Amino acid sequence: MKALQRYSEEQLVILLKQHEQAAFSYLYDNYSASLYGAISGIIPDPDATPDILQEVFVKIWKQIGAYDESRGRLFTWMLTIARNTAIDTLRSKNWKNNRKNNELTEDMISLAGSTLTNTDTIGLRKIVHSLKQEYRVLVELSYFEGYTQEDISNKLGIPLGTVKTRLRKALSELSMMIKI
Amino acid sequence: MDIQVYIQSGIIESYVLGLADKEEAAELEKLRLVHPEIQQAITDFEKALETQASAHAMQPPAGLKARLFSELQLNETRIENEEGMAPVIPVNIFTNTYRTGFLKKLAVAAAVLLIGSFLLNIYYYRKYREVSKENAELIAAQSNQYVHKDIFETRTKELQNDINLLSDSSMLKVVLPGVAGKESNSAVVFWKKDTKDVYIAAAKLTPAPEGKQYQLWALLDGKPIDAGLISDCATVCKLKNIKAAQAFAITLEDKGGSPTPHLDQLVVMGKI
Repeated sequence: MKALQRYSEEQLVILLKQHEQAAFSYLYDNYSASLYGAISGIIPDPDATPDILQEVFVKIWKQIGAYDESRGRLFTWMLTIARNTAIDTLRSKNWKNNRKNNELTEDMISLAGSTLTNTDTIGLRKIVHSLKQEYRVLVELSYFEGYTQEDISNKLGIPLGTVKTRLRKALSELSMMIKI
Repeated sequence: MDIQVYIQSGIIESYVLGLADKEEAAELEKLRLVHPEIQQAITDFEKALETQASAHAMQPPAGLKARLFSELQLNETRIENEEGMAPVIPVNIFTNTYRTGFLKKLAVAAAVLLIGSFLLNIYYYRKYREVSKENAELIAAQSNQYVHKDIFETRTKELQNDINLLSDSSMLKVVLPGVAGKESNSAVVFWKKDTKDVYIAAAKLTPAPEGKQYQLWALLDGKPIDAGLISDCATVCKLKNIKAAQAFAITLEDKGGSPTPHLDQLVVMGKI
């Protein structure tokens, strides 16, 4: 039976900004699993994920002062940190050397598009994979691999305007699927 | 702008997921302030994303929290109570993290400084009051001294004038001793021979009673000539001009003087 002291998000943020340890402990207990799942969706390597999660929580602890409630919910902010940290790892030298995926190549695109099948993916990425192919690629490359829309436009040979519109449509559709 | 079309364009999701470019994000941040529907749509998607993430949560390995807290040099505060039932997290802003510990010390130091400053204020205010009072007194004393100085200067000037007058070679001095019964009285008349001006030094007359006044008379061939009334006269006072006289006398008359002297009221008299 869990009888944890409950914080409202507002209280939690205030306490975290005070660098209140108990609040941080509470934050970890309540959000680490969600963030761990999200990171796992970006880096499907169980060996790398714990280190990334740890790095994410270190950043949260140290950067909480920069969190601006008016711009979004606490979880959204933490999720952005998690995603950025995971993508940074994905792009780091060691990772690239291990994986030998230095460039956004046709291989990558095919990887993005098809190699990872539904059974390999979890969470948000799994939902993304149920989008139609032309949407799926864009969400994969932008959200899960961190490429800018210009990069994607260049590499896929699709006009930037088209990338923009198509990505937005893809995200809009994704949103519908999440909300169901 | 059709807000519903904007909301459904995918921009909200793009922004929340961190995929919107700078201009798109800037535009949305302005619009969300003006349109509550946009704000609502953002929050809705954020909540959906959180719910979705929670639904696909994965437990991180045990021990990771301990590793994290040790890296940050924090204490894991999730403590099982004696029954092992309810983990309790104290809700206290002032637990002993390094940060709040420092803030606490800072607050104590600030409070001490504040109290100190307050006491000093009281002390200095009292001091200020004292000094202001002293200063006012000094100013009053000083102006008082100025007044006295003026008085003394005037007095000195008068005395100097008197001395000049009396030491004039043309000045004739006539001593008027007290008559019988009035021996304690005396006066001196100075008669300037060239101008015929008459001056009197009457300091040694008994002060005149209420309603009475001394009057000087010049006597010529047995006839008294009014030489003037003696008012408050500290040193030497100028009276009337007397062409010729053989003697001078002072009588006590009713205030305002008399046309002829009451010789029964004679006080002093002296011959030239």
